[in-house]
Amino acid sequence: MIPALLPRSRKPVSLFISLAGVFTAFALNASPAMALSLNPDAASPGIKDSNTLHWILFVVIVAVIVVVNLAILRAARPRTRAVSPRPGRKVSQVRLAIGLGVFALALFVVATIFSDKSREIPAVNSVPVAGQVKGEPLEITATGQQWLWRFNYPDGAFSYRRLIVPAGVTVQLDLVSTDVIHGWNVPELTGKAQAVPGETNTIYFRADDPGTYTNRSSVFSGQGYDTMEIEVQVVPPAEYEAAIIELKRDIQRAQDKVELEFKLSQKQAEVGEVAGKKMKAEINKVDIESADSE
Amino acid sequence: MSRTTSYPQTMPPTRPEIASDGPKASPTRWTQLATSADHKDISRILIAASFGSIFLAALQLLLMRLQLAVPENVFLKGVTFDRLLSVYGETAIFLVALPLVIGLLYYVVPLQIGSRTTAVPRVGQIGLWLFIFGGILLYGSFLFTPPEAGINPLPPFSDATFTPNNGVDVWIGSTGLITLGLLMIAIDLLATLHNLRAPGMAWRRAPLFTWAGAIVTWLFIVIAPIFLAAISMLLIDRLYDGGFFAGDAGGSPILWQHFSYLFFTGVYMAVSITFLAAIGEIIQTFTGRQVHRKAVIWSFVAIAIIGTLAWTQNMLTAPLPSGWKYFGMLMSLALIVPFGLIFYNLISTVSSSDFHMRAPLRFALGALSLASIGLAAEIAQSTIAVATQLSETYDAWAATHFTLIGFVVFGGFAAVTYWYPKMTGHELNEDRAAKSFGLMFAGTLIAVLPLFAAGVAGQVTDSYRYFAYEDFQVYNVIAAIGTLILFVGVILAVGNLVKSRTEEPAATPDPYRGDSLEWLALSPPPAHNFDVLPDVRSTRPMRDIREAVIRRDTETAEAEGAAQPVA
Repeated sequence: MIPALLPRSRKPVSLFISLAGVFTAFALNASPAMALSLNPDAASPGIKDSNTLHWILFVVIVAVIVVVNLAILRAARPRTRAVSPRPGRKVSQVRLAIGLGVFALALFVVATIFSDKSREIPAVNSVPVAGQVKGEPLEITATGQQWLWRFNYPDGAFSYRRLIVPAGVTVQLDLVSTDVIHGWNVPELTGKAQAVPGETNTIYFRADDPGTYTNRSSVFSGQGYDTMEIEVQVVPPAEYEAAIIELKRDIQRAQDKVELEFKLSQKQAEVGEVAGKKMKAEINKVDIESADSE
Repeated sequence: MSRTTSYPQTMPPTRPEIASDGPKASPTRWTQLATSADHKDISRILIAASFGSIFLAALQLLLMRLQLAVPENVFLKGVTFDRLLSVYGETAIFLVALPLVIGLLYYVVPLQIGSRTTAVPRVGQIGLWLFIFGGILLYGSFLFTPPEAGINPLPPFSDATFTPNNGVDVWIGSTGLITLGLLMIAIDLLATLHNLRAPGMAWRRAPLFTWAGAIVTWLFIVIAPIFLAAISMLLIDRLYDGGFFAGDAGGSPILWQHFSYLFFTGVYMAVSITFLAAIGEIIQTFTGRQVHRKAVIWSFVAIAIIGTLAWTQNMLTAPLPSGWKYFGMLMSLALIVPFGLIFYNLISTVSSSDFHMRAPLRFALGALSLASIGLAAEIAQSTIAVATQLSETYDAWAATHFTLIGFVVFGGFAAVTYWYPKMTGHELNEDRAAKSFGLMFAGTLIAVLPLFAAGVAGQVTDSYRYFAYEDFQVYNVIAAIGTLILFVGVILAVGNLVKSRTEEPAATPDPYRGDSLEWLALSPPPAHNFDVLPDVRSTRPMRDIREAVIRRDTETAEAEGAAQPVA
């Protein structure tokens, strides 16, 4: 039996064994840097504030956990001699509550400052790209549908799964959904936001450097949920415009192809009809002739 | 001490005689248990169901973690994983946490307030059977189509258009029956609390766990009807083309999130309050000292109100007006005050006193330790800037699981091992309990700590697989190993509860020298709980009784000594 192997001790052995196990496993991890990197690479100004707040809170949280658990370990220590019956320093509950309240309020103020900063619309100070009104963010609509994202750019271009945005340009992303709730999830640029049918969830970001960010939707949406990828490609503005022209050309080409095929099939149907009539007439003729001959 | 001089008159005899033979017993133990309206029988069934379900939940969790241990694993099909996840979520909340909370309160609180029965026992009995049928409905659905729309089936995904099979209907039916059943038991308990307290048992003298009972039942009576209304609306949407949660028909999918998260947040707070109070009782008994009652009880009230109002903390990524989000953030950060006060009072009481480490205290301190990790991690989940990064990942999952495993599993085992002699009439095997505690504690830490890292690295919950390039494997392998250890520990702990009933010696009515009135009753208590009831004159009625007995014995001895001439 496993429990028989456990040493009988009054020290919290299981705590030390498990903590040592977890940290050894982390240390043996092929990419220990990942275990330590608390945050995604911030590629948009708002995310930098999110990351700063997360570092502050990380330190606070670890401090709280360590203090509370050391107090529990100290409280649970084996008693080698009697604890003095005299109660220790009396702490006023009201003062303690006020102290905790000040701590909570301080956290709230800090969290509010950084949350406000992270939600700010990044300044629009670049040369406008195609489809962008000067001084306004570039407006792109992201539509979630089972299990794909569709991106509608200004002036008619659209793409599926991959969003192309110009670097250094502030983007206004309107999240909508055609069926169920989907989770927009690009931690490096915008963080998470829900695309809810019937509502528009607007988020802003400005990717300063070119790069590619691949992530997955974060709200369970059914059987293809695990394949619902989002790829954001940040490219220089010139390349963005070229890519949009390319997209439009592709769309036009696809449209032309569809129309061509439609016309072809119509023609084929016509041809078929004519040929069919001819054949029918010939068959009739043969029938009539054969009837005549009889 | 002049006020307590009247005790010997009202004090029960040391060996209470049973006044009558009582009603004629039913033919078998099972029919008696099944037809009983006694609060103790009802609670024993609820607690047994809860511990059976801990096993099921741990098994489901283990299967899911094994599936996720390998990237692109084909061990489970996607739909099987979705079903396991949905059933796991419902089992953990509706079949483990809630019946354990209500069952413990319904067993112990009438005894603590010195009541011979509950106010409306038949209501409690109906509640039990609604609960049982809810559980049967959920697990019976494995023969047909179990729920598969996720832990919280968000419309429109849970609407008939996108999930046309009956899984969501089963979810609605079973959660509805269970919630309604437990609500009826809560109503019975609240009526008992307000009407059937023993003479002298004023609210200011009520034990911590009784206060938790009052607060939790009031809270449940507020939040449960909201949930029942919400699932009825979802059912109308599904079956009769309703438009409550349909964006294009004048409703809103956000409405469901408000309703359901209000309920789930309230349940989280009810669980926290109940088990913190149980831990407080355990600490008071084993250290022989009282915690600062006023601070702890007011903190419970604050948790119930502020905590439930923090429901928008779960919706920080939804398209809500900013005011809602800041409100949720403020309320959840304000919870630092009551939780901090309670933790300080409980831990400092242990720290400054002598005690023998027994199984209930071990589980109680383990529960505080694990819950402190989860509650602290919730701070990050409560702020808008960080929640948009971390919510809906395994970081949020890990925070919730630390708190709930800490309170429900460890707090639950603490409470059940503490009241075990009272409930079964037998001692608990301490050695086996300590070993299973070690395994469970190590298992929980190994199973959940790495998931914080997985969440920060970006692994989203609810997905049945991830891809090799995503580099999440190491965390999931550790978590799977930890879950296996936790599973073994849970089996051993539940096995110990079953085995000790036959193997261990019989328990005395008051094995720990407790302070509250449940220790006055026999172990296990007879159907009418008490033969004789004392006048309650303080917050520690059993200590008063013990002192009075000692005083009477010495007085008798002195009188006898005085009567006989000294040789």
